[in-house]
Amino acid sequence: MAYTSQGLKAGLLVVAALGLGTAWAQLAPAQPPADAVQAAPAKETNGADPAPADPPSANGVVQLPLSAQCSVPSKEIAAPAPLPAMIAKLESGKSLRILAIGSSSTWGVGATSRQKNYPSQLETMLEKSMKDVNVEIVNRGVSGETTETTSDRLRTEAVLIKPDLVLWQLGTNDAVQHVDVETFEHTVRKTIKALRRKHIDVVLVGLQYTPNYSRDEHYFAIRDALNRIATDLNVLYVRRYAAMEFIARTKANMKMLSDDNFHLNDLGYQCMAEHIAQAVTANLFVRRKKPAS
Amino acid sequence: MNDVAISAAPRDRKVKTTRAPNEIDFWRGIALVSIFMNHIPGLWYEQFTHKNFGYTDSAELFVLLAGWSLRILVDSQPRSLTPLRLSLRLGGRAVSIYAAQLVITTIAIALTATAALMLNNALILQWNNAAAVFDEPVTAHIGIVILSHQLGYFDILPLYVVLMMMGPIIGLIYRYVPAALLPLSLAIWAATLTFGVNIPTWPVEGRWFFDPLAWQLIFVTGFVLGGTGAAQSAITRWRLPIRVLGGIVVILGYVGTVLAWYPEPLEVPEPFLFFVANKTFLTPLRYFHALGLVAFFGGSFVLLIKYLRPICRFFSMLGRNSLYVFCVGSLLSLSGQIVRFAIAPSLLIDTIVVIVGISAMSATAWVSEWRTRLRD
Repeated sequence: MAYTSQGLKAGLLVVAALGLGTAWAQLAPAQPPADAVQAAPAKETNGADPAPADPPSANGVVQLPLSAQCSVPSKEIAAPAPLPAMIAKLESGKSLRILAIGSSSTWGVGATSRQKNYPSQLETMLEKSMKDVNVEIVNRGVSGETTETTSDRLRTEAVLIKPDLVLWQLGTNDAVQHVDVETFEHTVRKTIKALRRKHIDVVLVGLQYTPNYSRDEHYFAIRDALNRIATDLNVLYVRRYAAMEFIARTKANMKMLSDDNFHLNDLGYQCMAEHIAQAVTANLFVRRKKPAS
Repeated sequence: MNDVAISAAPRDRKVKTTRAPNEIDFWRGIALVSIFMNHIPGLWYEQFTHKNFGYTDSAELFVLLAGWSLRILVDSQPRSLTPLRLSLRLGGRAVSIYAAQLVITTIAIALTATAALMLNNALILQWNNAAAVFDEPVTAHIGIVILSHQLGYFDILPLYVVLMMMGPIIGLIYRYVPAALLPLSLAIWAATLTFGVNIPTWPVEGRWFFDPLAWQLIFVTGFVLGGTGAAQSAITRWRLPIRVLGGIVVILGYVGTVLAWYPEPLEVPEPFLFFVANKTFLTPLRYFHALGLVAFFGGSFVLLIKYLRPICRFFSMLGRNSLYVFCVGSLLSLSGQIVRFAIAPSLLIDTIVVIVGISAMSATAWVSEWRTRLRD
């Protein structure tokens, strides 16, 4: 019996060591090459360095650098905005539920499998940057949907799923289907306000970048509306179009789009997830500093 | 639900091949035409359908009438029929509706693909939640067959399949403990709304657009109201007060919708589904509005047939052949969406779409009855 229990202990020790090793390996950034240099200063300016004695690191959030392929200056991705509900949740609990809602980019048209769409990839990334936090992302993407229909679903799903954060990918279908800009803006504002009254944080995930629509006036009108909303309501807005355009400009030979030349491929979704992860985690630090000072 | 009603009608086909215009068929015909128009978003004529004047649309009417027809069918069966044979007779309908769902879904996919090819626009492949079919065909094909993948606007027949599968259970409860039927249905509905229970979809993660556990209530309500019995004699006795009450509900529904008074799901108390106007869960606001409509307009057919005979005959013909007409109507709605996308929408285009659509629906009904006559 004694031998068995000793063997068991040794076994457990090995498993624990292996687990720690794996966790360490996952946390360590995959060899940042020259391209990733831009990401590093961004990390510093956000005060992301989790020093052991620093209370802000108490929620255990680590900001992972962007990978070489997806590297974009953080100011191109999003302007800082508060995420109070998420911070409160991280202080009180060890789990985080996120509702990812939107259209085909949320469902993942163009991805080789469901594990490669942006919410799945983001879930893995967030779990890496928030040690010991169980992150659950519920995907409610319906292809071809415009914002008004999504808003109806969102307001019901938010009560049913009870998320701490909503990632709302929107605008592309409204732009393509020429939905009236005023109606679009009104719907988005109304929905954000209602979610906030219920203490649910919102992150807006903007339009898809595609060369096909780079000269379309309505496409830009919807983008401008999202910018206005983000500034007026101080809501975190991931400027997907700008971020992807930056990559297209700086790495012209990198293929981010799938064969239809409109939707993203696996790499495109990886960058989308990385940019959202960066925008979200950066703001967890920003807010965390304030009550401490 | 033509077959249900036809089998309920007198079987003496040599004398009469089609039923005379009646109230159920008439309202069902109205529902079919408004479903056709409501499924073309942005259509100019859509503003005249009754969803703009209250909290319900044609779906409630359609499902209530299906329950009503089931009751007529059950009442027409001899009491001596064994429970097994009764179940087989009532459940067989589910199979036909399931087959219809597969056929129209397949044609809808082909229509979507044709439009994408002809207009050279891959974005059309995403319309109405179709993306999974083209982007992830392996799982989506399984999903279509097990009804867990439903295209947008092609989501009401799956509800019917489940309701018709419940037909035998409803028929048996009605035969042995009729008084338990409505309370049981209400209890299931209330539990569904309290906990937000619904069937998951796959491979697109979500829930059924029409939650069968909630929608069974209006189906059973139709079943209880149809036929003869205690409920009917009470209705006959209290006809005027019921109509006045229905009228009040209809007016309140009208005022509420015109003023855009829709309770905000994020602001009402829990369990929130009892306080909002949600279609998926057939919330009380929608259920009581549907009952109000029935209470107010029910029985008005006597007047309508007197003064608007041709119109009544026309809509009754559509209603008599509702499954065929519904299937053709669904595909016409999708075609209408495509036409409006391909050619810039205008009142002229919308008018042509509506005229062609309604003509094709009536041609379907006419051909279907012609076939019936040939069989005599």
